[in-house]
Amino acid sequence: MNLPPLVLDLRVVSSQRRPVRLWLPLFLLWPLALVLGLVALLFTIVADAALLVLGRRYHHYTVLLVRSFETVGQTRGTVIRFSNEKTAVDMTVQ
Amino acid sequence: MSADRSRILDLLAGGKITAEEAERLLDALDARTSSAAEPAGPAFKGDPEPLIAALPKYLYVKVLAANGDNVDVKIPIVLVRSGLKLTSLIPPLAMDKINDTMSEHGMSVDFNNFKPEDIDELIGGLRDMEVNVDAQNGDTVRVYCA
Repeated sequence: MNLPPLVLDLRVVSSQRRPVRLWLPLFLLWPLALVLGLVALLFTIVADAALLVLGRRYHHYTVLLVRSFETVGQTRGTVIRFSNEKTAVDMTVQ
Repeated sequence: MSADRSRILDLLAGGKITAEEAERLLDALDARTSSAAEPAGPAFKGDPEPLIAALPKYLYVKVLAANGDNVDVKIPIVLVRSGLKLTSLIPPLAMDKINDTMSEHGMSVDFNNFKPEDIDELIGGLRDMEVNVDAQNGDTVRVYCA
């Protein structure tokens, strides 16, 4: 099983300002995401059931929600770097 | 069923490898089995992990602009796959809006045509893809998997 992202490491180095390094502990958001996800899940299940009863072709909000969480979980390992003569930004999802 | 074959299928079921990767591994396993009687067979033995580890894991996009702006992006291939699969679940109205907006910005990709069964094939193709652009103004763009 893949763990969702644990930490977002953001570094900004600028020639005009002090370097900034932000270490954002994403794992602290997991409990909040879990609660919000479960609440949203209830709504999507009801919505999908209603859409199914009404005979609508699209009734996949629950799957969409679950897959969205899965996609967010796969962001681990993403690295984005930008640099020019004055600034360098480095963002790593660990 | 051999333990190796079972392990590959478990990895496939767990979403750790794609159908194409599983096929390659199974082919390699078959090749090993068929040549087992020969005294000098291929070096592949037992554990499929080294083969899996050798598969590309990341999609890289590197842009070196002549004006000094450099962009370097590394995206896990599992994220690309997951994102593409997500597109097949987006509600039709939202998808139409996305397509319209992308079309307005010069990217006429119709995500309605993305079928879940084609995505693994698409990702498999991405693994072998390499794009190198050297513009006249000195900008270079490289897109590849490793």
